[in-house]
Amino acid sequence: MTFLRRQLPLLMTFVMGIIFIAQYYVPHPVSEDLLTTVSKWLQIIGGFALILGVTSLFHQHAVKIRRKEPGWGYSFVLYAGMLGTIAVGLWVNGKESVNGGMTAFGWVYSYTMVPLQGTMFAILAFFIASAAYRSFRARSREAAVLLIAAIIVMMGRVPLGEYLVPITGDITQWILNVLNASVRRAILIGVSLGAVALSLKIIFGVERSYLGGGKE
Amino acid sequence: MNFAEKMLQIDRRIIFVLIGICTLIPLLYPVGLAIKVSSEVRGVYDYIEALPEGSVFLLSLDFDPASKPELYPQAIALMRHAFKKNLRVIGMTLWVSGTGMADQVVTQVANEMGKVSGKDYVFLGWSPGVSSLIITMGQDLYKAFPSDYYGHPTKELPVLNGVQTLRDVNYVVSLAAGTAGIESWYVFGKDKYRFELGGGCTGVIAPGLYPLLRSGQINGLIGGLRGAAEYEVLIGQKGRAVAGMDAQSATHFAIIGLVILCNLFYFSLRTSRSRTGQLS
Repeated sequence: MTFLRRQLPLLMTFVMGIIFIAQYYVPHPVSEDLLTTVSKWLQIIGGFALILGVTSLFHQHAVKIRRKEPGWGYSFVLYAGMLGTIAVGLWVNGKESVNGGMTAFGWVYSYTMVPLQGTMFAILAFFIASAAYRSFRARSREAAVLLIAAIIVMMGRVPLGEYLVPITGDITQWILNVLNASVRRAILIGVSLGAVALSLKIIFGVERSYLGGGKE
Repeated sequence: MNFAEKMLQIDRRIIFVLIGICTLIPLLYPVGLAIKVSSEVRGVYDYIEALPEGSVFLLSLDFDPASKPELYPQAIALMRHAFKKNLRVIGMTLWVSGTGMADQVVTQVANEMGKVSGKDYVFLGWSPGVSSLIITMGQDLYKAFPSDYYGHPTKELPVLNGVQTLRDVNYVVSLAAGTAGIESWYVFGKDKYRFELGGGCTGVIAPGLYPLLRSGQINGLIGGLRGAAEYEVLIGQKGRAVAGMDAQSATHFAIIGLVILCNLFYFSLRTSRSRTGQLS
């Protein structure tokens, strides 16, 4: 059992990792065909991940309902919403519109999901304004620099700001293109190097946490 | 409790009302201030403008309804520009929750411009995998999408004549609200399959994409509602984005005002407390 639990996944990870590092640098048709086939496999596995996600969500909310945890009524709403949407989706073969006409699935999407998600996002503007008023204070020199930069960028990104103080547009562009881009690039390089190191650790079996727990 | 303390603890509902008014009034009574076009947005516009008629343009609408206010106007403007230039348009999405909306954008603009599905444009819809989907499209477009969103076999569509892989696409623009999006298209697509890539994104993720812009990994970036408004100005068809810029101006200035006020009250309170020896 240890072989199936540990050695086999480690071996598969190592072999596939090495093959596909090499594949990137080998433009031979055989190598390209291999990439095409494996990418298709990955897409299929990606589809199964969706099923896994939905199953896990159902299970989690079923537990909430069974234990009558606080807010368990919302779990019922989730069940009703999800099962209802799946039912109408299957009924119309997943199409939001057919021959220019909206299907029941399209109706659920356009008149439930779109306004709900839009509302959630729109509320952010109000909370950001409130949070800015309460916490955006120049308590230190660093906070003051951040505050001034934020005000300049907020002015420079809207026509009224550029109209009142024309130079804010150019300063905003400079902040975004020079200061922001250089810092972001440094972060990006660090993250990428970390990702390469982690990938190598996984391929060579040094990092094994992805195998999960359980008995050896 | 003195005045400054009272003002610092103001009921947040007053702020909500202020922001609501600042959004509503400019939408009802637009001023229409001039919008200056940035070089980032012009990068995308100029590239599409330079493409010859019949070139293949892929627009990946990688967002969901939460980002509709910012990215929908960008998508409309880009589609109008591409159809005006008689490009062959391929629409798709990497976000399953955005499929219906992406279909609406493509169909709406195509109908408006008198374009025919399958002949002038195709909407491929969504397929799982993100990175593996982009790689599969780079290897063989027809394996990634054997049929379009409406179930028509893609191999039989005249719009895809001569298009076998992403290498045959002249320009890709990803309109992204996060991951998967522009970075995915660069890392798994452009880097290997050598097509030109542009981007559009929400205002909140735009600063994170400037390194890609500066290094030439993307040739242009349409950032947020402002970017969409700039694009509308460039194509000469002012729409929702331009209309929304006055509201954005007013709310930005309201927030700036609130931040300045809060700092004035904060320093006034700090000064009075230091005088009385209560500074913590």
